[in-house]
Amino acid sequence: MAAEVRVLGLFPDDGKAARAIRDLASAGFTFRRAHSPIPSARLREAVGGRKSPVGWFTLAGGLFGFGFGFALAIFTAVQWNLIVSGKPVVALIPFFVVGFECTILFSVIGNVVGLLVCTRLPDFRGLETYDPRCSADRFGVLASCPAGREGELLEFFRKKGAEVRLWP
Amino acid sequence: MSELTFARIDETVHATLTPPRRGYWGIVLLLFCGVLLGAGCWVYQIAVGIGVGGQNIPVAWGTYLINFVFWVGIAHSGTLISAILHLLRAGWRNPIARAAETMTVFAVCCAGLFPFIHLGRLWQVYYMLPYPNQRQLWPNFLSPLMFDVIAISTYLTVSALFWYTGLVPDLAAVRDRATGMRQKVYRVLSLGWSGAHDQWLHYSRGYLLFAALATPLVISVHSVVSWDFALGVVPGWHTTIFAPYFVAGAIHSGLAMVLTLMIPLRRIFRYEAIITVAVLENVAKTMVLTGLLVGLAYGTEYFIAWYSGNPVEWESFRWRATGEYAYGLYFMVVGNVLLPLLFLAPAVRRSLPALFSLSLVVNFGMWWERFVIIIGGVAHDFAPHAWGLYAPTIVEYGIMVGSFSLFFLLFVLFCKHLPSVSMTEMKETLAHGR
Repeated sequence: MAAEVRVLGLFPDDGKAARAIRDLASAGFTFRRAHSPIPSARLREAVGGRKSPVGWFTLAGGLFGFGFGFALAIFTAVQWNLIVSGKPVVALIPFFVVGFECTILFSVIGNVVGLLVCTRLPDFRGLETYDPRCSADRFGVLASCPAGREGELLEFFRKKGAEVRLWP
Repeated sequence: MSELTFARIDETVHATLTPPRRGYWGIVLLLFCGVLLGAGCWVYQIAVGIGVGGQNIPVAWGTYLINFVFWVGIAHSGTLISAILHLLRAGWRNPIARAAETMTVFAVCCAGLFPFIHLGRLWQVYYMLPYPNQRQLWPNFLSPLMFDVIAISTYLTVSALFWYTGLVPDLAAVRDRATGMRQKVYRVLSLGWSGAHDQWLHYSRGYLLFAALATPLVISVHSVVSWDFALGVVPGWHTTIFAPYFVAGAIHSGLAMVLTLMIPLRRIFRYEAIITVAVLENVAKTMVLTGLLVGLAYGTEYFIAWYSGNPVEWESFRWRATGEYAYGLYFMVVGNVLLPLLFLAPAVRRSLPALFSLSLVVNFGMWWERFVIIIGGVAHDFAPHAWGLYAPTIVEYGIMVGSFSLFFLLFVLFCKHLPSVSMTEMKETLAHGR
């Protein structure tokens, strides 16, 4: 397999970056990744939208938390099975408070786990083909091509109005 | 906002992270001495016993509980600003959201200390954990105090995770400009964030879900705190309006603390172009609303006491207005309800000295509200022979100074080491014209 080179085009706005992403495939280059200092709907649209599955992790955490909260309150109550002031040992209304708080707690923990899994963080290898200007005011588009065609890719990005960086 | 650019936002925020001057370390030292004072008083109390505080029979809950409720209240506006206003797409919250979230985390830390302090025998804290004791008894979740343990620890965990998640893209931006050891530290803290399109896709979704989950949580936490009192059969406490009353008061006091912190921060760090007067004005307008809600709750309490026809309840409220602590009631009514109405005048809410002064007044008034509720209820309950008074001791004042010093110390350290304004959210505001 021929060696591959990677080129990062740095655009001043997300509109130009999105147009470059759309034209990359027809010019025979492979789109790898886009970097931006803010979430950009234009870039998301150009890259091709898919829904984030983070919400499923959140939902799973919430369902677990709801069950766990109620189960904890019920389990601790029945360990000392004594009716006080005619109140039921397993009292669902006060236990709902524990269930609710645990729902939120575990939903948030599920959300964080989902974020870490989906974004694959921590990941320091992604910074190898990254330019610090992408966290400031530039929108980066990383593309690749077979070795020997890097001149064409550099020219492609320049024509689209980008500054360029090349990684062999 | 029109003169702002992405580069200018970065420059302004990065400039706050340059090595501090000597004056900064002087403030840090002063606050650290305050923390040491509080810690010393606490150690003294542990060594001698809880009796060094002014708590007595019938007033068993003193400044420790007042400060607990005060700090939990302060913690609420951070989540209001970062979560509720985020869901409502209120762009004006972006310049102050980070500092407000930070305030939330530090205020919950301060609040969380007080149950430990009030416990006296600190080493028996494990009684509150879901863990069987030597007689195989488990903590019982029918008690509002146990609800509190769950609610406050959930709130601390959620607000800390929410705060850190919001910080990650900004930590990456700081990493990209830092050098040497600082760069290594920020590199680890930012988890290798690169702002890749798929990272943003999941991040935006996750952040929205965070906000959606934090919103009911913030309302539930202060409701649970209010039930510490409302579920007790004590005149002045045993009322169904406590949950919304406490939530409104919490947001009111939290907004006041936002102004107290933001106005000096804006001046010291030259944030004038980012934290505009219009942003502070919006906080003041929101305080008019929360102040009126708090005023409605004060009035409703009196109405309920009168309309119930319960002589004990009515006596408790009569005593509040005419008894030994009547000044507390007037502090809270004037400070929390009447003076914030001055914000109805545009000239007042656009004046920084007026905003700052009134924010201090509301902080003062809200502390006294908690005094009136917590002390007033038990000091003058059912039986006249059991009535009693309470005054904090020097040890309690020392611990109170310690808690305020700890809060401001943590905030001062934060401001110089982490981005105190969210660069990402400010850039989004700029890009989307909100």
